Amino acid sequence: MADEATTDAEAPEAVTDERREEVLAALTDALGDAVVDSLIKPGLNLWVRVATEAWSEAADVAAARLGFRFFDFLSAIDWLPSPYGRYEDSAVDTPFPPAMPDRSAVEPGYTGGDTRFQVLGSVAKPGTDLRILLKADVPDDDLRIGTWTRTYAGAAWHERETHEMFGITFEGNADLRHLYLPSEFEGHPLRKEFPLLSRVIKPWPGIVDVEPMPGEDDSADSEAEGADA
Amino acid sequence: MGLVESGKMPKPLTKLLNLSRKYSIWAYQWGLACCAIEMGAAFASPRYDVMRLGVIPFPASPRQADLVIISGTVTDKILPAIRRLYEQMPDPKYVISMGSCANCGGPYWDSYSVTKGVDQVIPVDVYVPGCPPRPEALIEGIALLQERIQNEDMAARWRGAQDVEPIVVG
Repeated sequence: MADEATTDAEAPEAVTDERREEVLAALTDALGDAVVDSLIKPGLNLWVRVATEAWSEAADVAAARLGFRFFDFLSAIDWLPSPYGRYEDSAVDTPFPPAMPDRSAVEPGYTGGDTRFQVLGSVAKPGTDLRILLKADVPDDDLRIGTWTRTYAGAAWHERETHEMFGITFEGNADLRHLYLPSEFEGHPLRKEFPLLSRVIKPWPGIVDVEPMPGEDDSADSEAEGADA
Repeated sequence: MGLVESGKMPKPLTKLLNLSRKYSIWAYQWGLACCAIEMGAAFASPRYDVMRLGVIPFPASPRQADLVIISGTVTDKILPAIRRLYEQMPDPKYVISMGSCANCGGPYWDSYSVTKGVDQVIPVDVYVPGCPPRPEALIEGIALLQERIQNEDMAARWRGAQDVEPIVVG
């Protein structure tokens, strides 16, 4: 048993991913200190967190020097814990308006992070299975970051969506009109503190509306039937 | 239509008019989400074939339509277009709300972008529940609407005096 456990523990250590190591080395070579943190999952993906001011440059380097010319997606994450509690469990639902939670307890995911919002973008190298998932912090007091549209024209709509959903401004992208939302929509719906008003008016009923599976909990039914008879 | 407006239409003539309206409904398809697939099956497939009921599902514009089927998720963004579509249709006009989303928001009851029921902006004649409803359910909705058209008092409808409960299928 002890032998098996040690082999299991050692097995992931032995796996290395030279191709992704090379990509990371080339990226670090080009960007220098701007690469804040990185993570390689062998055979899966490469995560790289870059400094906020190097966000546009990182895309340039990935596309022009490393051949990652295919733009996959761009979005953002709000690391704030939901102020409304877990909706599915009405016992911990909080009243409205809620107190803002402390985000310091939250683990910011792969390659870490120091701010509430992070932008992330994925680019791929055509003809290979290589992708880079780039991330960058967005300063809490100034939600601005560079644009990717000079490198990837297709990023324009993704930045528009991220702008309307999170309120992050991409400097250099002149057309940040609403994409999905009505033009007069107020607020940023993918922020954690955005209230879903239907739920404020009518709390989530929990799982009371789910019927038991046949044979799972039919004792009450059969008793009732017996009483009727 | 002076006779209709004055309410002095002879009964047999009303019946005849209603009969012809009932069997020549031009239905405008307003497919917004997955319900539109079921609507397509009901309208365009030989298995269900709504034309056998006298419903013609391909008017060129809402201005030629008697009936509109709102099938799918109505978002706040498309709401002005739906309102405008309804206003473009000539009277007498009917609306079928198909599926949970169009009826009340359905699974998106708490969404920031989905309208909780298309009946907030246009009057609905028939509600077809389901997520999505089967084509048979939509066809039953149309059949019930035809039944209502057959018995309708056109003069009362013209005056706006008609106060009828909407039909709920099932």
